[in-house]
Amino acid sequence: MGNLMIKAENISKSFGTLEVLHDISFSLERGNVLSIIGPSGSGKSTLLRIITQLEKADGGSLEIKGEYLFKDGVYSKTEVQKRIGLFTGLVFQSFNLFPHFSVLRNITEAQRAVLKRSKEEAEEKAYALLKRMSLADKAKSYPCELSGGQMQRVSIARALALDPEILFFDEPTSALDPELTREILNVIRSLAEEKMTMVVVTHEMNFAKGISDHAIFMEGGYIVEEGDPISLFEHPQNRRTQEFVKSFE
Amino acid sequence: MQNLIMQMLEGTVTSLQVFFLTLLFSLPLGFVVAKGRMSRNFLLRGIVNLYIQIMRGTPLILQLIFVYFAPYYVVGVSYDRFTAVIVAFVLNYSAYFAEIYRSGLQSIEKGQYEASKVLGFSKTHTFFYIVLPQVIKRILPSLGNEVVTLVKDTALAQTIGVSELFRVAQNAASRMFSTMPIFVAGVFYFVMNYIVSKLFDFFEKKLSYYR
Ligand SMILES: Nc1ncnc2c1ncn2[C@@H]1O[C@H](COP(=O)(O)OP(=O)(O)OP(=O)(O)O)[C@@H](O)[C@H]1O
Ligand SMILES: [Mg+2]
Repeated sequence: MGNLMIKAENISKSFGTLEVLHDISFSLERGNVLSIIGPSGSGKSTLLRIITQLEKADGGSLEIKGEYLFKDGVYSKTEVQKRIGLFTGLVFQSFNLFPHFSVLRNITEAQRAVLKRSKEEAEEKAYALLKRMSLADKAKSYPCELSGGQMQRVSIARALALDPEILFFDEPTSALDPELTREILNVIRSLAEEKMTMVVVTHEMNFAKGISDHAIFMEGGYIVEEGDPISLFEHPQNRRTQEFVKSFE
Repeated sequence: MQNLIMQMLEGTVTSLQVFFLTLLFSLPLGFVVAKGRMSRNFLLRGIVNLYIQIMRGTPLILQLIFVYFAPYYVVGVSYDRFTAVIVAFVLNYSAYFAEIYRSGLQSIEKGQYEASKVLGFSKTHTFFYIVLPQVIKRILPSLGNEVVTLVKDTALAQTIGVSELFRVAQNAASRMFSTMPIFVAGVFYFVMNYIVSKLFDFFEKKLSYYR
């Protein structure tokens, strides 16, 4: 199984006395898209933040591309953590662009500082990505001069510039109005068509049903139900999933 | 008259020395103090906080006198007045700058650190290239206020006998039985602060290219 990108086993996490994740296990293969849905506070962001190393898990194991980030709650060496970090990219709900950098520099900075690419190489890559995001004319603009949808496309370009092998999206459209949402969903859909491995937390049910190979419904820190998207969204077995999916119709 | 202007220029040099030396030391030192103020070690945080409260809660004139005379009364050594002025000013201004830095640092959104972490930036890179430039932009106005105050505060150096611009003007005034030198000194301070304000305006404009 050289194609296993993520293998999560019994991941648990608490904030103080609040248990936010209980025994979360799932796996994801190369080229597949996993969508995670669930009500507010169910632990979706926390799970993404653990995999992208913004948060530390308390227990369980997580393998990314066959390397353990942590095993039975014990984290691997810093070098391994860093190496695994290079495989993963994260797109935030609130974009988190660097306001003092131009669009171009937002996309080149990490290529240069982290991957040590040359200025020319980094800019070439950035322009190609901007073109693909239909933002070629915005390279010299600053984030404050862009619409929300444009900012989110820049942040996707910023993540893609490092050639991540798995891209995570945490409610990438929740800060956007419907029209701009469509813009972003189209970008994610085109990435799915190119077989980018992705994990998407979203409330866009139809979109999730359309692009994902696998879907997870979380509530209260548990995976309540999972399966192929058609069955999860159209014929959920669990009553809570049924209620949740229904509330979006 | 010419003689008076020459004397006042000499006094101004002393004032400017106090001004620049204070900035030279307190601008970086304020950063160290801010770090201590935000430390996770509660003892360090507490001590630094107490220091800041004392510096902000007592008059600078009193601090000057204390810094100059305390060593003499405690261990019997006296030292250079000018040095004492610099020490007192640096101690005082570091506390004020520290609070400005702290508010600036704390105003940076968590998302900036998270994006930096996810992109793989080192802590140093994150600080110098992502955080610091944004902090500087945000604190520039309050920093400007503080620097303008410093120009005026240099007049306090005379309390322990350092003859800066204002002391020179006062001496001349009593010699000449005229308040004119005092007004001339006022013009001097005004001109210095005009330059300071213009300088800060310039930097603020330079950084106004975003948000
Ligand atoms: N840093 C933190 N400290 C304490 N509690 C936290 C922290 N981060 C998250 N939580 C709590 O953990 C729980 C799960 O939060 P999480 O953000 O993972 O939920 P979510 O499923 O992403 O919700 P949403 O749909 O609102 O984004 C919530 O109860 C939240 O209040
Ligand atoms: Mg969330």
